[in-house]
Amino acid sequence: MTTAMTTGHTEARAAVVTPGQPHPVELSWGPSRHARRLVTLALAGLAIAVLTRRAEFAAPAAPALLLLAAWRQDRPRSILVSATLTARRMIEGEYAAVRVTVSGYGDLAVELRIDPARAITPGPAGAAGQGGRQDDGPDGDGRPDLPFLANHWGRRQVGVLQITLQDRWGISEGRAAVPLPRIDCYPLPAHQRSRVVLSRLPSRLGEHAARVPGDGSEFAGVRGFIPGDRQRRINWPATTRRGSLQLNTFAAERVQNVVVLADGTADVGSPGATTSDLVHRGAAATVRAYLAARDRVGFIAYRSQASWITPGTGQRQFHRIMDAMLAEPGNSGDRSGISRLPRAALPPGALIIVFSPLLDGRLVETLRDLRGRGFTLLIVDVLNADPGGGQDRFAELARRIWRMEQDAIRFSLRELGIPIVHWDGEQSLDEPLAPYTRRVMVSHR
Amino acid sequence: MAAGPLAAACVAWSASPLAGGGSGTRPALIVGISCAAAAVARLAAGDRVPEADVFEKLMGRTRRLLLEALQAGPWAGGLVIAALALEALHHSRPWHTGLLAVALIAFLFAVYLAESGARPATLRPQLPVLAAGLGLLVLCCGAALLPAAGTGAASGWLRVFAAVAAVVAGALALPV
Repeated sequence: MTTAMTTGHTEARAAVVTPGQPHPVELSWGPSRHARRLVTLALAGLAIAVLTRRAEFAAPAAPALLLLAAWRQDRPRSILVSATLTARRMIEGEYAAVRVTVSGYGDLAVELRIDPARAITPGPAGAAGQGGRQDDGPDGDGRPDLPFLANHWGRRQVGVLQITLQDRWGISEGRAAVPLPRIDCYPLPAHQRSRVVLSRLPSRLGEHAARVPGDGSEFAGVRGFIPGDRQRRINWPATTRRGSLQLNTFAAERVQNVVVLADGTADVGSPGATTSDLVHRGAAATVRAYLAARDRVGFIAYRSQASWITPGTGQRQFHRIMDAMLAEPGNSGDRSGISRLPRAALPPGALIIVFSPLLDGRLVETLRDLRGRGFTLLIVDVLNADPGGGQDRFAELARRIWRMEQDAIRFSLRELGIPIVHWDGEQSLDEPLAPYTRRVMVSHR
Repeated sequence: MAAGPLAAACVAWSASPLAGGGSGTRPALIVGISCAAAAVARLAAGDRVPEADVFEKLMGRTRRLLLEALQAGPWAGGLVIAALALEALHHSRPWHTGLLAVALIAFLFAVYLAESGARPATLRPQLPVLAAGLGLLVLCCGAALLPAAGTGAASGWLRVFAAVAAVVAGALALPV
């Protein structure tokens, strides 16, 4: 059980503790709640005894005053604290822990507790020392872990580590508050295993079978032997049937450039499943799925201004993209908007997968512009909410007009050859993408 | 576990007999019962108050405000004052007051143990001091039971100051 920290005295605050380095933290000493209650009993008893001239009311004050006389003067003014996080990067819904080392507190009892910041929940009591006491002797260096849960993605503070030292009689307590380091909580990627593959792929070696013959491993057909061909590729059954040497041919294996565009301009819907949440969870899933296929994946964050990550491969690229998702708008990128992104951010022939609720008119125009420039786009529509605004006739009429406008926007984009699929955020992304993942997606110029 | 019965016992003991109290017994009793209920509820609720949420509903908000009020109030201290006031509203009965004092001390220690999650064995170092305190408590009650030396107001004051002086001297002389 934890002790609530509601004493009136001011708390000593220190700078963020450097991970791994013990840091002196000033303590603020004051009476504990138990001491204040004993003072109340003593003062009330003595006051009533004097006011009523009844000596028996001095009796309740006797044990209380004797206990308060045990108030210690030799208390440490500061202690050494180091607090490190077991993980600085985590995915929403995951547990991490704060590893705390406290020393220099003598024979006092130490109680540690996390005062959580927004969207952080302290871990289950007793699981790893949450609210636990560190009583491992003089100048102990126990390292209790205080678990916490990140409920929502984002770059956020964990909270404040509350340290309470108490003497062995519970009369006086020293308190200190240590701000904890920041964490990067990535959005929980949705489930996606399949991938949309374009019919035209750039001439870089990769893992997707292209339509052109090459040195891949996927069988493409049989053709006549030409001097200079490798003999080990001769198809002997076909040679026997046709009476001339026949050779197996294989499809070339190419890499695909994919650019994931996450529209963070709108944030509507129920808490925890807003359009912004769905956009980022879907984008994370797509990035992970394509990087797993060793494709080159780029990322464009479309908010009040656009920022981008040029296509790349590997786990490091995944972390770069996740960090870009968490970055505040304006940390990087171009202020002039998405239409003037450099060629490196939007390589020719790239597949652009857009996660958006399509509520931003500028983005819709930008998508039309990109389609006009010959890019192949696929839009994952994440709008699952209707506008509120009452139940009367006019509100219903307004909602109908709004829905018609939304339908018109989607219709106009489909007319331009941009496929739009709807994703509710709960099902696997494979389901809405299925019509485009079963066969190659023909890229029109 | 023990804090609830002890709180109820303190209020009931200080209020009995209900008819024997002076004016103001009923309000003091109401305050005492309220503080006892709030103190026990606070211990049952623990220290965790849910975070304020923009989207929280009326029930959630009410629950959060109730928990915040439970956390903020000095309910155990209020119970102590109400119980002593109830006892003072009755006629002088030193042995009765002495037992109430013991019950109040026990209640405060039960609250402390419940809040801190410590075991009762942690109180072992305090036992000598508690024993000395209880000795002084008995001394005060005994002094109150002795017949007054005179009939004037001064004899009452003298006994009170003697008891208070004994308690303060005991506290100052404690070798801690």
